[in-house]
Amino acid sequence: MLIDRCAHASPWRRISPAAKGLFALAALLGAYLAPSPGLALGLASGLALLTLAGARVPLPDYLRAAAPALGFLALGCASLLFSLGGPEGFSPRLLPEALDPAVRLGARSLAALAALLFLVLSTPLPHLIALLRQLRCPEVLLDLMALCYRMLFVFACVFRDGRTAQAARLGHAGAWRSLRSLGLLAAGLLPQVWLRALELHQAAQLRLGDGPLRFLAPNFPRARQELAWAAATSLGLLLGLGALA
Amino acid sequence: MSGEALLGFAAVCQRYEDGSRGLEGCSLSIRPGSRNALLGRNGAGKTTLLLHGVGLLRPTRGQVEFQGRPLDYSRAGLRQLRQRVGLVFQNPERQLLSASVYEDVSFGPLNLGLPEARVRQRVEAALAAVGLTDCRERAVHQLSFGQKKRVCIAGVLAMEPELLLLDEPLAGLDGPMQREFEALLEQLAGQGITILLSTHDVDFAYRWADELHLLSEGRCLASFPARELPRQQALLAAAGQALPAVLGLHRRLADLGLLPAEPPRSLDALLAALDGAAPDLKRNPA
Repeated sequence: MLIDRCAHASPWRRISPAAKGLFALAALLGAYLAPSPGLALGLASGLALLTLAGARVPLPDYLRAAAPALGFLALGCASLLFSLGGPEGFSPRLLPEALDPAVRLGARSLAALAALLFLVLSTPLPHLIALLRQLRCPEVLLDLMALCYRMLFVFACVFRDGRTAQAARLGHAGAWRSLRSLGLLAAGLLPQVWLRALELHQAAQLRLGDGPLRFLAPNFPRARQELAWAAATSLGLLLGLGALA
Repeated sequence: MSGEALLGFAAVCQRYEDGSRGLEGCSLSIRPGSRNALLGRNGAGKTTLLLHGVGLLRPTRGQVEFQGRPLDYSRAGLRQLRQRVGLVFQNPERQLLSASVYEDVSFGPLNLGLPEARVRQRVEAALAAVGLTDCRERAVHQLSFGQKKRVCIAGVLAMEPELLLLDEPLAGLDGPMQREFEALLEQLAGQGITILLSTHDVDFAYRWADELHLLSEGRCLASFPARELPRQQALLAAAGQALPAVLGLHRRLADLGLLPAEPPRSLDALLAALDGAAPDLKRNPA
């Protein structure tokens, strides 16, 4: 929801998703090819700045969107840096020889994360799905993505309404009642999923949709120029990283 | 059934799998270019009738006809029917397939096999018709309930149907939104689109429709021109509907000799009639 809200609020949502996708891909490649952790961190900072200043994503939202990935990253780096076991059982200790690979991994991952956040925080998902369709991604996968994305909001709404109705009748007064109410809500959602699936199928049939779900993405009138800009910037980024190597 | 009917129901019966009744020998017809309102209690069969109109349900007895021919329930037949008849569900969440307004409206015309440029034209025209041009880039979950309903209508309008079926289009809308919606329906009817809608709002039905169809317990009790409603009070009561407020008010004022006997269709018309009578009232206040 947070990512979706940021993407729809970003002024860069009107930029061709192909151009942003190309730049993000180049940035990912740059993160992988970055010869030193310092350069990877520089790239991550540059991309974060671009997302915050260019795509106008508020800093608190950016940090919240990045937090789960940063948590995983911290855990991954820690598992490289520390050894938990030894011959004498549980004895956590720092591995000095793992410091260098852990820093390199962390820096590259940060740059890759910043590249992905740049793309998803400035591009609404329907635009990304349209881009994947242009790239000949399998239709069934795209249909699933489109429906899952739509259903996410429908069920968030149903869940919220159900929870509010339960809370209004003291369903969440106390931990035990709250747990029971949550279980009832989850059970109630299951038939709703079935019903909703049937209804959406009927709705698609009424508009002659008996095959793949085909939608038309909005027009990006300056897509060619934007793609050319993205290609030039991407090339510059990769050449710059190569020169610094 | 009238030979000139666009859509006709001839003694249509519908039983659901659990044995409950949907329709019980329901017969009515819809004239081309007319504005029709279905009135009836909850469970009278209004939604079931609309679902039959687009072939989503198949009668257990009787038949549904489009332009005088029985519906063809083959895949090709239904495809042909649904190019010409569009249905807007009561709950917009039931109808919106894509998370983006523009994409959702494009779904139908793309399925018609139209070229991209033509689809874009139709999407723009449909969004303009429902007043949502500025929302074309927005996600549907960011829209209000009324706006979502408009997106649903745009999605059906983009297929340029001859007959538009709307299941309780005013349900869940606040006063200003209902007035906007009424203006939109007026505009669509002005374009020559035949409209059949179900509603519980008898005041709106009397004000807006050309023809009223009263449903009760799966049957069509009566179909008559809306202007005849003041003379159909018994039928209206049998269908569980109250008399439109404007008729009660008019009757009192007519009894007082303040207004002519011919009843108006809306409160606005009644006020205009009162304004017309005002000079006489001022001359003779007693």
